[in-house]
Amino acid sequence: MADSSSSSPLGPRSVQGKPVSRPKRGAGVQAYVPEIAKGLAITMGHFFRNTKEMAFNQRNDPTLEGVEDGINTISYPEQRRPYAARFRGVHRLTHRDDGSPRCVACLCCSTACPAQCIHIEAGEYPVGDPRRGYERFPQRFVIDELRCVFCGFCVEACPCDAIRMDTGVHAAPYDSREQFIFEKNLLMSFPGRDGSHVTANPRHEPGEASHPGITREGGGH
Amino acid sequence: MNFTLIEFGLFFLKAFVVVMFAMNVAVILTWADRRQGSMIQDRVGPNRAVAWIPTKVAMVLAVLPALGLAAGVLGLVARTDFEGPTRSFASVALSQLAIFWVWLTGIIIAGRVADRGVKNSFDAFIASVGDPRRFFYGGLAAHFLAFAIGAVYRGTEIGQTVEQAGISAGAGLFAFAVLFGAGYAAYSIRNEPRVGLRLLGLLHPAADGLKTIFKEDFIPPNADKFLHSIAPVIAFFPALVVLGVVPFGDSLCFGADPATGRLAIDQLMTTVPAEGCNGVALPLQVASLNVGVLYFFALGGTGIVGAALAGWASDNKYSLLGGLRAASQMVSYEVTMVLTLIGAFMIYGTVRVEDMVRWQAANTWGIFVQPLAFVLFFTASVAESKRIPFDLPEGESEIVAGYYTEYAGMKFAMFFFAEYIAVVTGSALMAALFLGGWDLPFLRPDGLYVAIGDTVFLQEALPHPAIVAIGALGFVLKTLFLCWVQLTIRWTLPRFRYDQLMRLGWRKLLPASLANVLATGLLILAVQSAGPRVVSALAIVSDLTKALLAVGGIVVGIVFVLFLLKPAKKRRLLATTSAQFAAALGGTRSARMSA
Repeated sequence: MADSSSSSPLGPRSVQGKPVSRPKRGAGVQAYVPEIAKGLAITMGHFFRNTKEMAFNQRNDPTLEGVEDGINTISYPEQRRPYAARFRGVHRLTHRDDGSPRCVACLCCSTACPAQCIHIEAGEYPVGDPRRGYERFPQRFVIDELRCVFCGFCVEACPCDAIRMDTGVHAAPYDSREQFIFEKNLLMSFPGRDGSHVTANPRHEPGEASHPGITREGGGH
Repeated sequence: MNFTLIEFGLFFLKAFVVVMFAMNVAVILTWADRRQGSMIQDRVGPNRAVAWIPTKVAMVLAVLPALGLAAGVLGLVARTDFEGPTRSFASVALSQLAIFWVWLTGIIIAGRVADRGVKNSFDAFIASVGDPRRFFYGGLAAHFLAFAIGAVYRGTEIGQTVEQAGISAGAGLFAFAVLFGAGYAAYSIRNEPRVGLRLLGLLHPAADGLKTIFKEDFIPPNADKFLHSIAPVIAFFPALVVLGVVPFGDSLCFGADPATGRLAIDQLMTTVPAEGCNGVALPLQVASLNVGVLYFFALGGTGIVGAALAGWASDNKYSLLGGLRAASQMVSYEVTMVLTLIGAFMIYGTVRVEDMVRWQAANTWGIFVQPLAFVLFFTASVAESKRIPFDLPEGESEIVAGYYTEYAGMKFAMFFFAEYIAVVTGSALMAALFLGGWDLPFLRPDGLYVAIGDTVFLQEALPHPAIVAIGALGFVLKTLFLCWVQLTIRWTLPRFRYDQLMRLGWRKLLPASLANVLATGLLILAVQSAGPRVVSALAIVSDLTKALLAVGGIVVGIVFVLFLLKPAKKRRLLATTSAQFAAALGGTRSARMSA
């Protein structure tokens, strides 16, 4: 390119191509009829196999069986494809044993969120509660699921395992934008795929025996 | 020409049946085109339209028709006094029908039990049989056994009793099986909150059709409003009425009213001679015109006017191009269509479709004497209906939607529907001209008559109405088969270029049809100048073609049954975690999954 344009900038460029031979079109192809017959045979094969399998309920299970083996449609609302184990679905807020959210309103998730779809209003525990000054709780915890990009950074950022995306449910299509604003109660109502609202990670509240405390001996709090 | 009231009523009934046949098959084709057209691509296709009906109503809907059918069969058997060939035929038909219904019900219930698991003791009993195919094998054995018993005791002293037993037990068993199947269906849905009626997705084209009625009827501002509105009617009407000359069955033979000598509706003959009718014949054909099949082409040709008018009246360049394309294409292929039939006219010696079918019944099917004509006519007929691979007038990749670019709502639906009806009528005409119409091999008007030349292998008298009904059913099946082949072509082939279309029509099909006329003429001359030995040899050959058809039909049936019995070949893959979840839930096919 560069050579030819520098040697003759205005003249016609010599184009060098690789000769490609024309495809051989014998009498069978030209006559068109044998090829029609082949095509019809393939169509009829699919027709008979798939019609029979639909009629006899032998049809392919697209999640379990090879996609070459028949009809692979999933009739969506009635049949659903389960998502993979690590699929990031709709968020849930995990519970403590007493049913309150594990969230301590540290704002790590809303800080990490690239879409800025998490809104948290932190509240202080009342005076006398051992947790006052130690941790806070979310008075409001709102996720705009329409703005969320399902990156999972909030889950990574959470120090308390309080927010998870393991519900196995995709964000459902609603008919108004307000319905995509998920409030705390709704987020807490979703169970994980195992049906549980808690997590396997134990929580050690201040004042409990399992809490490590501030001394090496495990007491003094 | 004056009609009696009964004749007028029968005429009206025949016209109604023909129109309903064309329109209903067209709806089914619309459905099959979408649904099966998806299935050949390994998709399910549109089947989402559903009518939710309350469970109680659904249970009544399941049981009520079964009650009517059972009562009708039992009442018919109790009231009718069967005699002669009608008696043995009724015995065989009823017992075989009952056995068929029993194993069919069994295999359906067994399939359902295998899918959803055992729920009660009856399910457990069905499941204990094992593979659902065993119901079919058992049914097959019962079919042969019942037939053999009837054949062995035929004409003996006990024969009368056996025949009577076949009639009574057959009717009783059939009524029981029908009621049991319906009752089981009603019982198995009793706990459902509501029942969705989908009819295999057939509601989907119905919903689409209803939708078009309520859509906006748009007429472009500068269009010719009158012509724009009348074009779909002009395209629709001829497609519907051309079936009038096509017979859909052999003539029904009635007795004559002694007072007037006209047809007596209550005296349907049970036996007729092998040739002709010894009473008053009722042709199963709306109009027996002396111009015969020319009526088909004369009226079918006016369909061109509809397409051309639609293109011109729309005030749209694409519409005009589409209209021009439609007009030139249909005119071109109409020439081939009619010229192709000249050879058939020469051989059949008539232009009346009913006489053509009679010739084929007496000799051999048209496809054997005019094979090239069949191929040419089939191709031209597909092109005539303006459908893939000849849908240039529509040509959405080039001219938007061709001549119906500016049509919406019901007017568009009429064009669309007219195309499908043209497929049905074209298939019906081809079935009548080349596939023997209502003729089935070795089925004469007086019964089964298996003979090659003068050697008679099997002769069996059958009642006249049953033979006519079987013939009409055969005609319908042949028509549906040709429709299906056209659909398969539509699903397979890509669209032609316009110059290719014209070259195929004028430079290939037209000379070939002229050559066919020449060859047919030479053949007829050769046969006429040959001696009687050649003629008798040809008669044997024509009987052999019928035997070939009969054997071929039986072989195709056996292969089809074997295909149905073959288990589906599936490879199970559990590579992903989602597949493992699905497997734990029982799969997507039968279980409802919510994860």
